Amino acid sequence: MAAGCSSYARTEKAQTQISFGSSVARRGLWREAAFRFQEAIEREPNNARAHNNLAVALEAEGEFARALAEYKRALELDPNDTYIRRNYARFAEFYTSYTRTTGKATGGS
Amino acid sequence: MARNTKLGARGVGRVVALILVSMLSALSASAGVAQVKLKLPLKPRLPLRGNERIALAPFVIATEAEKARDKRLQNVDLQAEFQRFLKKQIEKKTKLEIVPVPPEVKLPTQNLTELGRSTEFWRALGGQTGAEIIVSGSLEFRVEDRSGYKTEEYVSPIDSRTYYRQVYVEQTGFLFDIVFMVFDGHSGEKILQDEFKDFRQTGGRRADELQGLFENLFSLENQILNLFVARDREAERYIFTD
Repeated sequence: MAAGCSSYARTEKAQTQISFGSSVARRGLWREAAFRFQEAIEREPNNARAHNNLAVALEAEGEFARALAEYKRALELDPNDTYIRRNYARFAEFYTSYTRTTGKATGGS
Repeated sequence: MARNTKLGARGVGRVVALILVSMLSALSASAGVAQVKLKLPLKPRLPLRGNERIALAPFVIATEAEKARDKRLQNVDLQAEFQRFLKKQIEKKTKLEIVPVPPEVKLPTQNLTELGRSTEFWRALGGQTGAEIIVSGSLEFRVEDRSGYKTEEYVSPIDSRTYYRQVYVEQTGFLFDIVFMVFDGHSGEKILQDEFKDFRQTGGRRADELQGLFENLFSLENQILNLFVARDREAERYIFTD
């Protein structure tokens, strides 16, 4: 069964992974969502949407330093996307205050 | 006949509304974006096990001199109110064990910098109470009369033109500033210092000062508790759905 799932996952396109990841994300299953978005990135490393979604999932898991890297990558790939820019701005505001109060630039990991 | 025409107009309106709704739904679906709510996990600021014995020492009151002049501050026992609030929050939302501080304990200085360096005093207090961590710092609470003239837009009912007029607005501001210092009860060393500020403004000149104080405190509650325990912070983000 696991082998079947894994083989199924390998053949799926990035878009399908994003779609499935976003549906589980909306149910609050962020770990599974992060896995799906990571899978999407493996298939399409330059997919800005996948990097944005992974950043959001990592934020939800408290992996703030990794989320920052993913947001930056998403912006690098698509600097004009309004949603990615908005997400990054909100995250930057939070992360600045978080690192100021904790006195460290790592988070979660 | 007239009735039929009216119904027809209504029907057309409904059809237009339906088309608009379906167009909007189609647009949002094709946009492939969903807004999600996150609860960002915030780690506690202090590296604690979670069940330490904690002593709440007195705080330096920064508004003591002003209190003598301001009648409204005379009604507020800031030290007692804050200690009560902090004790209640720690008891309710953490597993820390609060150990009592003898009422005769007086701070060795009212100077915050010197207080942070009073290692001997904190070590002795730790030994006396059995506390593993001790909390102290300073508190400042100000009630500010923010009443004054403000410019307001005004549309005249006579000529429908927009004018600007000066109106007198009565407002009261409440400023609360806490400096937290946390000491190691064994070594007496300061392990953390942080400052939290809050400002609230309410309508009316005679707004109640105690209510103002608690408005400030409740808005700082999450930040204060995050010193000791993990907290969540709500946030909204966008994810792409395709």
